[in-house]
Amino acid sequence: MPKVRPVATDSLIAARGIVKSFQIADRTLEVLHGVDLDVKRGELVALMGASGAGKSTLIQVMGLLDRPTSGKVLLDGSDAWELPLAERAALRNRAIGFVFQFYHLLPELNAVENVLLPAMIGNSWSGYKQRAKEFKDRARGMLVKFGLEQRLDHRPAQLSGGERQRVAIARALFLDPKMIIADEPTGNLDSATGERVLELLLTEQHERGVSLLLVTHDERLAAHCQRIVRMEDGRVV
Amino acid sequence: MYKYFLSWRYMRARRTNLIGVVGIGVGVGALIMILSIMTGFLEETKKSLRGGLSDIILETDQRMFRDGRRVPHSPAPLLEAVRADPRVAGACAQLSWFGMLTQGGSRSAYATEQLADPQKGNLSGVRLFGIDVQDEYQTTELRAALARTPLLGDERVADLDDPFAPPEGYVPDGRPLASCLVGEQLASEWRLRRGSEIWITTALIDAKSGEVHPSDRRFVVAGTFRSGENEMDLQRIYLARAELSDFLGTGREYSQVLVRLKDYERDGTDVQLDFQSTLTQQGLVPRPEFVRTWEDYRRPLLGAIENERVLMAIMLSLVVVVAAFTVFAILSMMVTEKRRDIGILSALGATGPGITGLFVLIGFWDTLLGATGGAILGVLGAVYIDPFERGLSHTIGVEIFNRKVYLFDHIPAIVNPVWVGVIVLGAFVIALLFALVPAWKAGRLHPLDALRYE
Repeated sequence: MPKVRPVATDSLIAARGIVKSFQIADRTLEVLHGVDLDVKRGELVALMGASGAGKSTLIQVMGLLDRPTSGKVLLDGSDAWELPLAERAALRNRAIGFVFQFYHLLPELNAVENVLLPAMIGNSWSGYKQRAKEFKDRARGMLVKFGLEQRLDHRPAQLSGGERQRVAIARALFLDPKMIIADEPTGNLDSATGERVLELLLTEQHERGVSLLLVTHDERLAAHCQRIVRMEDGRVV
Repeated sequence: MYKYFLSWRYMRARRTNLIGVVGIGVGVGALIMILSIMTGFLEETKKSLRGGLSDIILETDQRMFRDGRRVPHSPAPLLEAVRADPRVAGACAQLSWFGMLTQGGSRSAYATEQLADPQKGNLSGVRLFGIDVQDEYQTTELRAALARTPLLGDERVADLDDPFAPPEGYVPDGRPLASCLVGEQLASEWRLRRGSEIWITTALIDAKSGEVHPSDRRFVVAGTFRSGENEMDLQRIYLARAELSDFLGTGREYSQVLVRLKDYERDGTDVQLDFQSTLTQQGLVPRPEFVRTWEDYRRPLLGAIENERVLMAIMLSLVVVVAAFTVFAILSMMVTEKRRDIGILSALGATGPGITGLFVLIGFWDTLLGATGGAILGVLGAVYIDPFERGLSHTIGVEIFNRKVYLFDHIPAIVNPVWVGVIVLGAFVIALLFALVPAWKAGRLHPLDALRYE
């Protein structure tokens, strides 16, 4: 029986023995081979590796978007993949914030509404209505702080790439999650814009004390992180 | 919360949703309007069909009873027995027979000539009704039919209390003729006016020899009536009962007795059953099946109109189904188009059932707007169909609703709120069932597959 690494007490999220395989026709393709990874509270971790190393698959499993073939994801000590569907969705809503390479904003909503989405998803009609003003003020405040005061009512199509990513960061941080998972957040931006977006993300991470798992190819970006985890062929090396 | 917010936003943002909204609106509106008009037609037709018949009809065929007896020659015993029932408001005896109307000659030879060559035209088959005016007024709608404003030239009788009085200005050529009352359409077709003379020809079969004996007589038109029922206004001629009995010369005084009840809806069936037993026992009606309600009498026609209403409802329901299918098609397209959004929502914490709910809600808004708009338009359309039709007919110069054909001076429409509710509810059920399929598929999408979709 393989030996399971113990989880450190200051660990926020811990992946243990994550195996992920895909069935392609009659062939089974294993992309993660028993990966262990810990991210401590407030820690800034860079996850690096070549394309196909399994970085994205690992963060999808740890972000509760894709069920592992085997292994556990312990969030605050409990196995998140063992939770019922609704509880797991609620955990994804409140404890984890996602920042994607392609922003993934809803095109029909303006900047403020996009930021408000996690609060809309996490609250009932009456619960949201009771706190609507508080939520809206907060969303506007975050966007103003992120330099988007002139863009509050603009839809994604009316925003630049950097502005979209700032809206996406505000959305990820809106419900004060314990952890942010950022998948190549500057990968679709020019270097100057990417620098500014990264600076914003790191500043917020520092101020809020939120854990950040940053997937990147960029060594310069990774250099800002407290710890760099490298992956190769579905294993942490 | 997001389900309501996003579904409304998606609904507004995608103009294709309008197709579903309009489709449902048209279906619901048409269904309400047509059913209201059909109900109006049915009720009006019932009224006019009942008008000439009263509530219960006692046919007193002259055939023998099984024991060899015959019904009395005089209607008096039957009328007395019927009127003794406290549930009866009025009763009248009628003598009816068929005849042919001819005009244009002053000799019976002309009628014979016409009969010899029916291809020549100028013949109308008519039903002759011998009536007692005051009894008739108490029992049927004849008084109203005589008083009703005509659609085709005003040839109403001068005195309603004595409709068979010779028309004003009528100067008989020889012996004064007996008066008759002619249906408005028949009068119009034959260009009859008050004071016009008509020949009525009939044929009687000798019960013993089996020979047919033609008989004819001239009458003067005292006025016209408009019952509102085509068959009556085109074929019926009223005469004084004694006059018709004399004309037929068979000794028959009546062929049926009509009965009006104080409350037909409450007592109709009971009175029918009572009369079926008592009147046959008393030898006043030959058989129980000769005691019929007006609905028994008109069942085929009422059934046909009711059938038509049901068929219309079924056909127009298909419009709603087609509209609901449009909602299905639009939502299916939207689910494909919004796959990335579905992935984003999942990543932000939305569950599969929540996403299903989001898309069902889009179908719900489509239906709510369509059904509400359709219901309002349908009700308004039914209520204002008459002025609308008149305006449209005037504008395009074509008479859409021919009042002469239907004999209604307006398009009747009765809006039944229960029906409106059922139609709107039905539209919701159908549209939401159709919306459920793409919505369910959306809820089953894997978040990552959806996120990867570009």
